Amino acid sequence: MNTPKLPPTPTKIKAETKNFNFYYGDFHALKNINIQLGENQVTALIGPSGCGKSTLLRSFNRMHDLYAGNRYEGELILHPDDTNLVDPRVDPIEVRMRLSMVFQKPNPFPKSIYENVIYGQRVRGVTKRSVLDDKVEEALTNAALWDEVKHRLHDMAFALSGGQQQRLCIARALATDPEVLLFDEPTSALDPIATASIEELIDELKKKVTILIVTHNMQQAARVSDYTAYMYLGEMIEFGVTDEIFIKPKDKRTEDYITGRFG
Amino acid sequence: MSLPAEEIAAIRANIASRKTRDLIFTSIGVLCLALALATIAALFVDMAITGWDRFRPGFFTDFPSRKAVQAGILSAWVGSLAVMIVTAVVAIPLGVAAGIWLEEYAPKHWITDVIEININNLAGVPSIIYGLLALGLFVYTFGLGQSVQTAGLTLALLILPVVIVSTREAIRSIPQMIREAAYGLGATKWQTVKDHIVPYSLPGILTGIILGLSRAIGETAPIITIGALTFIAFLPPSPITDTAPFLNFEWLKAPFTVMPIQIFNWTSRPDSAFHQNAAAAGAVLVAMTLAMNALAIWLRYRLRKNIKW
Amino acid sequence: MNEHLSTQFDTELDDLRALLTRMGGLVEEQVRTATLALAEGDAELVERVVARDAEVDQFEIEIDNICNHVIARRQPTAIDLRVVMSVSKTVTDLERIGDEAKKIAKASGKIIERHSRTPCPQVLAVRHMGEQCAAMLHEVLNAFVRMDSDAALQIVRRDKEIDQSFRSITRELVTYMMEDPRTISNSLDIIFSVKSLERIGDHCKNIAKDVIFIVKGRDVRHLKLDELEQEAASK
Repeated sequence: MNTPKLPPTPTKIKAETKNFNFYYGDFHALKNINIQLGENQVTALIGPSGCGKSTLLRSFNRMHDLYAGNRYEGELILHPDDTNLVDPRVDPIEVRMRLSMVFQKPNPFPKSIYENVIYGQRVRGVTKRSVLDDKVEEALTNAALWDEVKHRLHDMAFALSGGQQQRLCIARALATDPEVLLFDEPTSALDPIATASIEELIDELKKKVTILIVTHNMQQAARVSDYTAYMYLGEMIEFGVTDEIFIKPKDKRTEDYITGRFG
Repeated sequence: MSLPAEEIAAIRANIASRKTRDLIFTSIGVLCLALALATIAALFVDMAITGWDRFRPGFFTDFPSRKAVQAGILSAWVGSLAVMIVTAVVAIPLGVAAGIWLEEYAPKHWITDVIEININNLAGVPSIIYGLLALGLFVYTFGLGQSVQTAGLTLALLILPVVIVSTREAIRSIPQMIREAAYGLGATKWQTVKDHIVPYSLPGILTGIILGLSRAIGETAPIITIGALTFIAFLPPSPITDTAPFLNFEWLKAPFTVMPIQIFNWTSRPDSAFHQNAAAAGAVLVAMTLAMNALAIWLRYRLRKNIKW
Repeated sequence: MNEHLSTQFDTELDDLRALLTRMGGLVEEQVRTATLALAEGDAELVERVVARDAEVDQFEIEIDNICNHVIARRQPTAIDLRVVMSVSKTVTDLERIGDEAKKIAKASGKIIERHSRTPCPQVLAVRHMGEQCAAMLHEVLNAFVRMDSDAALQIVRRDKEIDQSFRSITRELVTYMMEDPRTISNSLDIIFSVKSLERIGDHCKNIAKDVIFIVKGRDVRHLKLDELEQEAASK
């Protein structure tokens, strides 16, 4: 009998946190977080505003290093080389070269579509035109934007629609060949159709890259993710297979949140 | 639910009374604006009419003279130009770099807070104080003389706070998410500044620079303090020569005069014929300032066209 | 139907339809086998039907799981919602049909155990009725897959024929029992079996009404046949 693809089969772990804590100055924002990101799977972080889901996501590419007074504690391991990403001896630039991020609002640079996509390569010092051209085509194709923009690569990025801009930002993130792609509420500024196309894209992308996504829309988590973690007040309340979280959560607090009974 | 007729009428009366107040404020605002604009226009037109007879081609190409009719503003506008060049060359790199450092690099603690407060205060220091400072520092201590370079440096000091503050404002208007996008792709701080911060804040920075220069061009007090001459019948040496290395920086050390000084000089003459010269030169100066402001607006409009956030 | 932006969702709905078709095929086979077992008195067929009922149950659980999954994760709306809800109800009907088939098989088993070689006099009629039910089931599943409300309406009408077969077989058996009391035990088992077949017809009718619900978006359960026809004819 054919088994429908219900629970994703557990695979290799691409990244994980071990007793991970994070502090904004004196504020203890993340408390003993333990989470594993399966390779080529989508893991979603859900929870009410201020629960720390974005904070956790932004720890993965050391975005907090840009602001003074932030402190990491514990481990955030990237496999297979077991680099502890939050180790002060690890350069945040190395971390950001290996994990790419897509932000809440589409934030293309006020440059051409082409320049946006290859900025990650420019930063690395790549100047050979043919290499850059190939990269642009590959990244835009993977971001499902190539056909729409191939004849106007040198137009300004702002000429694109919101959904296209967000796909451009995804292409920009992909052009650096990241091992993990981090999405911080990537559709919160988009209309439902653009949202659906981004979700479909995420489903495609997971064949190539491991994905961690923060969303305040739990239906979105249900639609796109293989694993879901529910966070509340800086703690990870429940982490499991998405189907289980949404059909029979183990923790009462998770159930209250996903059924809309949250205080 | 439906409202009774009298309540609907009450709502309409309420809206009407609130809109009346709206109208009153709009009228006051327009009136104030008109008053300010009319004053400036009247000033400019008055000067232009008074000095009308002096507007002849020779007015721009003649040196000052004892005869009012023959006196021109050649040495004054050339002097202004030379001083402005020095001011720009000094103030722009210093101010922009300082602004970038303060916004992007400076750690946030009490020392930078103090620096910040000082810069904001410097913008409000009376210009004569800068003149005194320059006299002591550039003329006596460094021995730069009562020259173009001293005047340029003095005015550069004067507009430095303006350039710094406008640079910082322009940088601050770049959304944080643009920086995060650049850093997120693995850019270093310098790459972020060079590829994003400077290009995107350029319109604001340029506006600040031009506004600063247009303030400097009209300054009189500090220039008098450092000892500008009021009657100059020669030009500084040409910066370009016909022998190698074809560049000559002697002009920096030349004595000079500038437009405001020339005007000041003419107005203080007892012969009222010179007052006509002063009015004409004043109109030219105002026109120069307005032109610079117009350039600032145009540049900002052009450069901002491609930037939307 | 046009495709969704989410290809995952499309795949899941396709899976649901495919599984439902396969479950329907199995149940249909169960009905045919059970009737054959009854008509022929074949003990081997009886065992096969009883054994395969577990498979039917397994399908039910599996399809219900997918329905849960689709509702929880895709938030189906409009026609998708109607499809998922109807699949869920249809699965229940199919499972019941499976149960009825098992009952028929068990009744046949009892008849076989009695070693009464008195052949069932209504063999042909029972076989015919079993065939009617199996065909009806086959067609209603086709209507489901093709989303064909006209075909579904035909099936609702055909339930009457099954009811008629049921009544005529029962009447004959009653006469038969009166003539020869020794046949009462067997006749009762046959009556229970044709009652099961009649129930299978009802379940098919339910499924047909679900198809009309999917296509027309109106709940047509508990409507009289003429009202139903009006409903089905409307756009």
